[in-house]
Amino acid sequence: MHKHIVRLLTLIAVVAVVAFSARYLARQDTFYQYGHYRGASVAEIASKLPKHQGSATCQTCHKEIYAEWSSGIHQKATKNNAIQGVVIKSGPGCEVCHTPAGNHPSKEAMPLSVEDRVTTITYARKGLHPANVPDRSLMREPADMRILCTNCHEKIPGRPVRGAVAGTSVPVQAVTDVVGIHGVPQVVVEGHGGAELCTTCHNPHSPRINFASVPRSPVDPKTGKALPVSAEKPGDAAAGKTVAAMCAGCHGEAGVSVNPEWPNLAGQHTNYLSDSIKAFKTGARKNDMMGPMAAGLSDADMRNVAAYFAKANCSVPGGDKAKAELGKAKAAAAGCAACHSSGGLRGNGVSGVSGAQAWPNLAGQNAAYLTIALKAFQDGSRNHAVMTSVAKTLSASDIDNLAAYYASASCK
Amino acid sequence: MTTQDTKVEKEAAKLSRRDFLGLLGKGAACAGAVAGAGAALASAGGANKLGGVGPTYQQEDAQYAEARKNPPKIPNYNWTEHKWAFGVDTNRCIGCLRCVEACKMENSVQMDRNHTRTWVERYTYLEGSDHAHVDSIHDIKNVMPGSKETRFVFDNRYKDAKVTKSFFVPKLCNQCEKPSCVQVCPTGATYKTPDGPVLIDSKYCIGCQYCVQACPYGARSLNHERGTAEKCNWCYHRITKGLNPACVEVCPTGTRIFGDRTDPESPISQFIRNNRVNVLKPDMGNMPNVFYAGIDKEVL
Repeated sequence: MHKHIVRLLTLIAVVAVVAFSARYLARQDTFYQYGHYRGASVAEIASKLPKHQGSATCQTCHKEIYAEWSSGIHQKATKNNAIQGVVIKSGPGCEVCHTPAGNHPSKEAMPLSVEDRVTTITYARKGLHPANVPDRSLMREPADMRILCTNCHEKIPGRPVRGAVAGTSVPVQAVTDVVGIHGVPQVVVEGHGGAELCTTCHNPHSPRINFASVPRSPVDPKTGKALPVSAEKPGDAAAGKTVAAMCAGCHGEAGVSVNPEWPNLAGQHTNYLSDSIKAFKTGARKNDMMGPMAAGLSDADMRNVAAYFAKANCSVPGGDKAKAELGKAKAAAAGCAACHSSGGLRGNGVSGVSGAQAWPNLAGQNAAYLTIALKAFQDGSRNHAVMTSVAKTLSASDIDNLAAYYASASCK
Repeated sequence: MTTQDTKVEKEAAKLSRRDFLGLLGKGAACAGAVAGAGAALASAGGANKLGGVGPTYQQEDAQYAEARKNPPKIPNYNWTEHKWAFGVDTNRCIGCLRCVEACKMENSVQMDRNHTRTWVERYTYLEGSDHAHVDSIHDIKNVMPGSKETRFVFDNRYKDAKVTKSFFVPKLCNQCEKPSCVQVCPTGATYKTPDGPVLIDSKYCIGCQYCVQACPYGARSLNHERGTAEKCNWCYHRITKGLNPACVEVCPTGTRIFGDRTDPESPISQFIRNNRVNVLKPDMGNMPNVFYAGIDKEVL
């Protein structure tokens, strides 16, 4: 046999021996066990730990919030979701907005609030865990939180529409700007709340409007007890009395104004009062008298004087009875009660007494002042996301009637 | 019932080809490798139809017997007792993309728009146009500006256009009965399990991306951090613990439906029974296990 053929055969033989021994010696034991793959890898893949734990897990500690969610529309949606006999679980659970729980609470903290989630995203690149971020409620910008709502509720083409086969342009019977199939309401953001945050009016856990409970007062998630609204000290009414002396010239010693065109302060919500004074100081609200007056006040002064007037006894100035009757009907139609009634839209509350500390009580206010305020919202000299748009729907006689109605409402 | 069932063809075992390939393999220089691939190719016809009964794709009878006798050590779970399937009711999808973000977090997928295990496409027909405009989260416009590609939201780009029809279609791996990706894998790193999902053994994956090219649905990608292939496995670590896949867990509208086809009362069995469902690209012969309701013929 020729030498070069022998060499070739030897080479082939050597390669074959190496290949066969590699196949039988270097191969993992479990290869070919179930097929042309490593059998042990199946259990390895299955042993990974889940990160989404499900909403029921959250219930063990966060009872209050869980109850709030499970009684609201964000969970109720799951119960009425039968399509051709199939009942399908749906409605956003806790982890849809709060991000997956992972090992929380045993090993790692999780973003506890929506604000924290924004922080996590902002800080993720810097290698900081949300638990280690100094100012945990820091949000990059307030609009960041709104994205969580608009992800599902912004009206864009393609989202299923109520009263139409999904995706088609069959006319929608729109009662309001809120439409949707399977209870997914959609809004055009600009025309709905303007720059206001969704959470100003909606409780994200149970977003169907019940203004009596919003903005939700902060609650300790574990004990269910109310937390102070802010870290700031509450105002001291006694200390506020000295500050109030400079207000008395116009607003009266007891908070009842000497001129019906100036607002009564007696019995007003503390937060609304201090927010207003702050707005005059910063220039967000403009008034030739109030600007200079507020400029000299410290934050503590503002809280104190607000506490003083909030404690004062309110009185009902009264208004034209005929107009008040018309105003009552208009107040219901315009939706004033949504914010300015302690019961909200659906509850039985005190009309003219606002559900939230941040919104003013209208009962106990002078009709003349209410008229001025509404007209200011209307012509743009005073600005508020919700009030500006509401005021623009009112006629001059509507404003007169509403003012008369709230001026004669009981303020207790 | 479905296109899949009508497409099942009983391929006779081609013994002659098997023998030929076996001989060829033994005769060639790289005998070991070729013999393995040849045997795998030859048994390609044995895909089980439904119900986890019988060998799965590229599984010999003896190997299936072993799978029944000595199943992988997963607590309280036997993979021959289940046959998972997935349903997508596009009538319900609102394109909120919570599934995409949940999947990325659950499975540690890279957070940018190019690496996805599941994604959502939007099909939009404008007035006077006879074809759909398609965009998905792979489009930079559908990533929140300034969010460093961690938050996805469908851009309201058709705000000023006249839209005649528009809908969202969630996409994910179809976990085919005859997966092209498994057929081409040179290292046995990806495989079809008897309970349905096609898994990736990332220890054996060499990142050659042959499977990425082979998949007719574009469901695979390369994880550039790990250097291995990436694909949806219906959250195999969750479903073997009795949980739903993460995307099904978070879906707020019930668009995504998951369950066991061996159980006639499971959500997926009811979904398939009560809806007219279709699979994507049935003519490819991959026999997908993701069933769609409410899609246009333009959706592929």
